[in-house]
Amino acid sequence: MSKQGGKGGAAAGKAKKPTKAGAEEKGEDVLQAVILADSFQDRFKPFTLETPRCLLPLVNVPVIEYTLEFLASNGVQEVFIYCGAHSEDIEQYIHDSSRWSPGSTISPFSSLEFIRVSDANSIGDFLRDLDKRSIIGGDFILVHGDVVSNIQLDAALAKHRARREENRDACMTVVLRSVGEQPHRAAKARGIIPVFVVDPTTGRCLQYEETHPLQSEHYLSLDPAVFSHGEFEVRTDLVDCGIDICTPDVLALWSESFDYELPRKNFLHGVLKDWELNGKMLYAEILDDGYAARATNLQMYDCISQDVLERWTLPFVPDSNLIHGQTYRRVKGSSYVEDHVVAERGAKVTQSAVGRGTVIQSGSSITGSIIGRKCKIGKNVKIENSYIWDNTVIGDGTTVLHSILAGSVVLGANCQVPAGSLLSYNVHLDDNIQLPSKAPARISLLSDEKQRADNDVSLVGKGGKGALYQTITDEEDSDDEDDTNRDPTILQSSLIYSLEGLNLSTSSISTFVSEDEYDSDDDISLAGSAQADAFGQPRGRLSSFASDDTSKADGFHSDAVHGLVDALRADDSDDFDGAKLEFMGLRLANNASDGAMRRAIAVAFVRRAAELLTPEHGGLEPTKAAAEALTSKNGAVKFVKEVGVGGETVAQQAEFALALQKALIGIKDVEPARAGALLAALLQQLYSLDVLEEEGILAWWADKRAAEGAGSEGLREKCRVLVEWLENADEEESSEEEDGDDEDED
Amino acid sequence: MAPSQASHVPTLDGLIKSFNNQSLEASIESLIFLLKRRQVKGDECAKATAYILRQVVAKAKWNDVDQLLSRIASAGSRLARAAPLEPVIGNVVRRVLGLIRDEASEDRNADDIASEAASDIQTLTPATNPSVQPPQRPALPHRPTLSALSSGLQVSKSMFNLLSVAEPGDSPMTGASTPMSQAQPASIHSLRSEVMDGIEEILDEINQADDQIAGFAEIQIHPGDYVLAYQPSRTVERFLVKAASKRRFTVVIAGLEASGAGTEAPYASLRKRLNSAGVKTVNLASNGLMAYIPRVNKVIFSAKAVYQNGGLLVDSGSCIAAQAAHEYLKPVIALCPVYKFCPEDPSDEVSRGELGNPSDYVSYANGPAVGALDVENTVTDYIPPDLVDVYLTNLGPQTQHHLANILADHYKTEDTGFSLQLGEP
Repeated sequence: MSKQGGKGGAAAGKAKKPTKAGAEEKGEDVLQAVILADSFQDRFKPFTLETPRCLLPLVNVPVIEYTLEFLASNGVQEVFIYCGAHSEDIEQYIHDSSRWSPGSTISPFSSLEFIRVSDANSIGDFLRDLDKRSIIGGDFILVHGDVVSNIQLDAALAKHRARREENRDACMTVVLRSVGEQPHRAAKARGIIPVFVVDPTTGRCLQYEETHPLQSEHYLSLDPAVFSHGEFEVRTDLVDCGIDICTPDVLALWSESFDYELPRKNFLHGVLKDWELNGKMLYAEILDDGYAARATNLQMYDCISQDVLERWTLPFVPDSNLIHGQTYRRVKGSSYVEDHVVAERGAKVTQSAVGRGTVIQSGSSITGSIIGRKCKIGKNVKIENSYIWDNTVIGDGTTVLHSILAGSVVLGANCQVPAGSLLSYNVHLDDNIQLPSKAPARISLLSDEKQRADNDVSLVGKGGKGALYQTITDEEDSDDEDDTNRDPTILQSSLIYSLEGLNLSTSSISTFVSEDEYDSDDDISLAGSAQADAFGQPRGRLSSFASDDTSKADGFHSDAVHGLVDALRADDSDDFDGAKLEFMGLRLANNASDGAMRRAIAVAFVRRAAELLTPEHGGLEPTKAAAEALTSKNGAVKFVKEVGVGGETVAQQAEFALALQKALIGIKDVEPARAGALLAALLQQLYSLDVLEEEGILAWWADKRAAEGAGSEGLREKCRVLVEWLENADEEESSEEEDGDDEDED
Repeated sequence: MAPSQASHVPTLDGLIKSFNNQSLEASIESLIFLLKRRQVKGDECAKATAYILRQVVAKAKWNDVDQLLSRIASAGSRLARAAPLEPVIGNVVRRVLGLIRDEASEDRNADDIASEAASDIQTLTPATNPSVQPPQRPALPHRPTLSALSSGLQVSKSMFNLLSVAEPGDSPMTGASTPMSQAQPASIHSLRSEVMDGIEEILDEINQADDQIAGFAEIQIHPGDYVLAYQPSRTVERFLVKAASKRRFTVVIAGLEASGAGTEAPYASLRKRLNSAGVKTVNLASNGLMAYIPRVNKVIFSAKAVYQNGGLLVDSGSCIAAQAAHEYLKPVIALCPVYKFCPEDPSDEVSRGELGNPSDYVSYANGPAVGALDVENTVTDYIPPDLVDVYLTNLGPQTQHHLANILADHYKTEDTGFSLQLGEP
């Protein structure tokens, strides 16, 4: 810190800096802020091909205005803006703004500077550059150019200072907003769920991880150092709004690790992990009131827009008219309307904001939408939950649902724009165009390389302009989330959050929070796994000596069983390959033994079959249930044969049959007689599907392990017929399926 | 060292301190944004407006009265637009405009009488314009307290006043301004200082209004009264504490926020002060209000603004209290300093009320509710005039029928349409 102060004097470049750079106490009187106006992501494409993200209109106000106003309302005086893509546009915008322009006398900031970094590829590059410049005197606020917040940072700043006075290593405070554990639109839109491990007494942040629904591992490993603190909380209910209060030490940390790119995933995670090396302490300030969010993706854009309309963001609401020249008034129907808006008789506007000069003709209804300036909306148009930027023309009778129409879009008459469509600047649709509702269209005039794309006549009609926009995916995932098996940005790239078609089971999303075992004794089971990590033992060995249920193997078992059962239950798809992949992923991640896999598969299929016996699921006969469980999904049988049994040998087959039997004993809600029938039916089914051979079944029959244990007698009794039949078949060589079936059903 | 730099958040006090360091335009603009961000609100608005207008008089370039008037009007309308639901801003602007017109007409009178010393002009003015605030008497409480019953006299005065002011009031805008613009810099200088003194007095009036209202406490509150104070504001608190020093009565404090467990009971400091003076207090949740009304003798709350029809702009919830009291024929006393009287009718927006942040009622963390509910948290109410019995101003108690006098005394007819002049920026 003092080092920074000293250097500040030398780095003269700016006229006023040297006066206050000498002593850090002086530097503190002036609150500095750094805005990162580029996030090196593609989530707003195709809109960001033409306009930088922080200038996209959010409720008809460019996003960066919210950020600047947030800083101004917190008394920030010096602002540095780092721009990446479209930096000229952002600079131009700021210079043209009467309020923020650095030369303006009315600017609330005493200085506002742009810093360009020619070869920056990540936020890390920005911050390392900032460290070199030595323009930061004391504590500063680090925000992104897309923050919408009405939080007063006073308390957080004061706490940060107090901590720093006490210990110079307390170098950063992360401001977080708690959003509760219930499903929430802001929380849902995150895609990536940040997991903070926090000491609730001091607010110190101990570990940071990220999870997302697409990852293969549904658990986190806690650092053993975490346990040296008396108390800690693992919190997934936080919205990370990207507001950090930093000391210059933070920049030094960035410089030390030249490969850090992202402020959270790389920096926060890394610094906390290497706490023993760097000795720096980071704190989390968790707020329960106030509003803070980042328009990081289209879903957040959607969510924040609605929050603004509902006034959660007060005073950042349309009728505050924070931008020069805006004249919003609140009118009936919870709407905000600027001057010179013409809504003809019979036009209904509810819970919307409409910009100046827009004409809405009769019979049209607009609900929950934001309409920009100078739009023309024809007769009998229906617009719901959509975002329509300036100068857009919508023809008579058109319907627009939950979509974004960027500036100067022209829609013909009687078009249908279904939910999730994204139409970029200047796209034209001919009359009577119906855009696809499955796989919502993204239409742009430009291709990903910013070339003019050829018009796609089949999509936009003869008189239309624009083509389907396709992203080049392999670029983006190399950027940030490369070590996960699938890129969670898929979840965030569309306007509507959907896991549909992404081939994952619901249980795998919720395992971390809602699964029974974890719910009851969250910390304990996490602790178990963390220690396993700490010992660095191969997990196979671990499970061999720690065969009880708290070990990792248990986590694998429950995850795997849930995943498989869900896949078997799924109504909409006949495909079992996804579940298989997921299972294999789990297996690799947990280093599960063959026995564990066999057990999991047996339990999954038995559970499904037993479920089918119950009246809720059709109350099938045991034979039907067994057949249904095994054969309804393509590839399930193969999966059982290859993975469950795992080989051709008699011993392996016997093991699997034994696993089935044990699994059935574990099923409580089926009476023993039916359970026995089910086991017989399953074995018979597997036999006829060539998964188990008669030698295998006979070996199981002979195995003395199978004979012991409570309840196994009852089960085995029912299988006796099958076994005898198999023994006979062995001798007679010719038997009919019919006989077997008849005998089974006795 | 930490506490001294604890706050960076811009406030009105910070703004006033920075007046000398920054340009006038920057000061106006910062106040506009303080208003827009609600970092200055309620009673502070009046003070802030007066401070800024004094800066305009002191710093803006103007060579004659017309220019000054237009400077004030344009700055004032920008402020008023920034906070359309804070009508006191417009009131203060009108007061200042009226003040300038008065000073200008005095100067002209002085010119007519020929070169008299400035002190003579000032001694002369009270005679010619009795109701205009005499600028040379800042120490006096403004306007000797006139009781409501003396209003017959006031009517005659103000009638006279209306005519006498309107006549010269028209002229400075047209013919008389020509000689003014040719006037010596000395007279501009004296006008500037006189207007600034006048604004200083308005500021004093604003600052002292609460105390002056409290001065009427013992007349209004009788021993043994049960007084319902709905969401007591600072004005009401001062009023009650003053009354407590003389009388023994019971205060029922209503309109509590639905506060969660663990938070301090609201109005704790007020209750402490009242209790120490020997006055009993009862805390009442809003929903228990109706049950208590029969027991209560009078209902007291403070107004954010009073319109010319007698309607009140108040914090939300007060309307229910007023209505309940009205049903039981209990007197409703609204505490409203004179600077809160607006010479206009309530707008559509006012009668619908300002919308606040829904987080007062629904937590943002309460996921499903956020999506499923439309929470409209109105933070202001409009109380129609027939629900209010007494308007207790710093000039004394008034009834609805005499509000017109107060308006006529304080505003020039030219300025009442001030808000209509709000044009495009």
